[in-house]
Amino acid sequence: MHEADEHQQGEDAFARYVLPELEVLARVAFSITRNNADAEDLVQETLLCAYRAIDRFDGAHPRAWLFTIMRNAEAKRHRRRRPQLLRDPDQAGRMEAADPRGGVASPEDVVLGAEFDAVVAQCLASLPERHRQVVELVDIDGLSYAEAAEAIGVPVGTVMSRLHRARTRIRQRLSAAGLAPKRSLR
Amino acid sequence: MKVWNATASRMRCMATMRVLQTYLDGALDEVAARRVAEHLEDCRRCGLEAEVYQEIKAALGKQEGTVDHRAIERLRHFGEQLARGDASAHGDHGA
Repeated sequence: MHEADEHQQGEDAFARYVLPELEVLARVAFSITRNNADAEDLVQETLLCAYRAIDRFDGAHPRAWLFTIMRNAEAKRHRRRRPQLLRDPDQAGRMEAADPRGGVASPEDVVLGAEFDAVVAQCLASLPERHRQVVELVDIDGLSYAEAAEAIGVPVGTVMSRLHRARTRIRQRLSAAGLAPKRSLR
Repeated sequence: MKVWNATASRMRCMATMRVLQTYLDGALDEVAARRVAEHLEDCRRCGLEAEVYQEIKAALGKQEGTVDHRAIERLRHFGEQLARGDASAHGDHGA
């Protein structure tokens, strides 16, 4: 009976701490694997490991705990994985023409906005893997610096420097395309 | 005096640029954030630079849609099975 209670508690804790993080886990898994099937496998593996370890989890910072599990699962998966397939060509294709400043945009603004977004998307796709990954985690998946650091297993300062360098690269590309003013300082 | 003012102003611009992205990410402490916000109000060049980075962040934020929503549904179902203690869910997965 005592064992049954403990089991029930574990299942309750799993539902309370793990399930609400499922979508974030899926996004992060996609950022890490660049492949929907691999991302799904990785999240499933993470859920299973979390389920097995939930009795030892103290309830503090579930997201960080899950990212650590995911990182370990990914390292394990890597060791037994076949060579990586090519990246999804659709990745850079989705763009909307909405005006980022809000309000009613003129046709010219819509075209400019679409062009701006297209350059950002192209530049994102061409960034070095490590830089693109942090941009996706922070700017697309909405993680904090600390969460992104936890997800990929690097210090927060590394996340910040990669992120800032990546955005600066995008900004330079926009200037070159005439979609942003040239850098004004210096 | 004029030279000193120009130098001080330039230094404020440089200090602002160093932390601008952290500020836009909402990760600066309150005192530093207030200082940056004040400078961005006063300095057109830095204000413009902040706007460009804000638009880059907004454009990046629109890059969603890479996650397969059907996969999320399948994972949710799998997670819920685990949460209910369904033995079939934690049987042979993850091999």
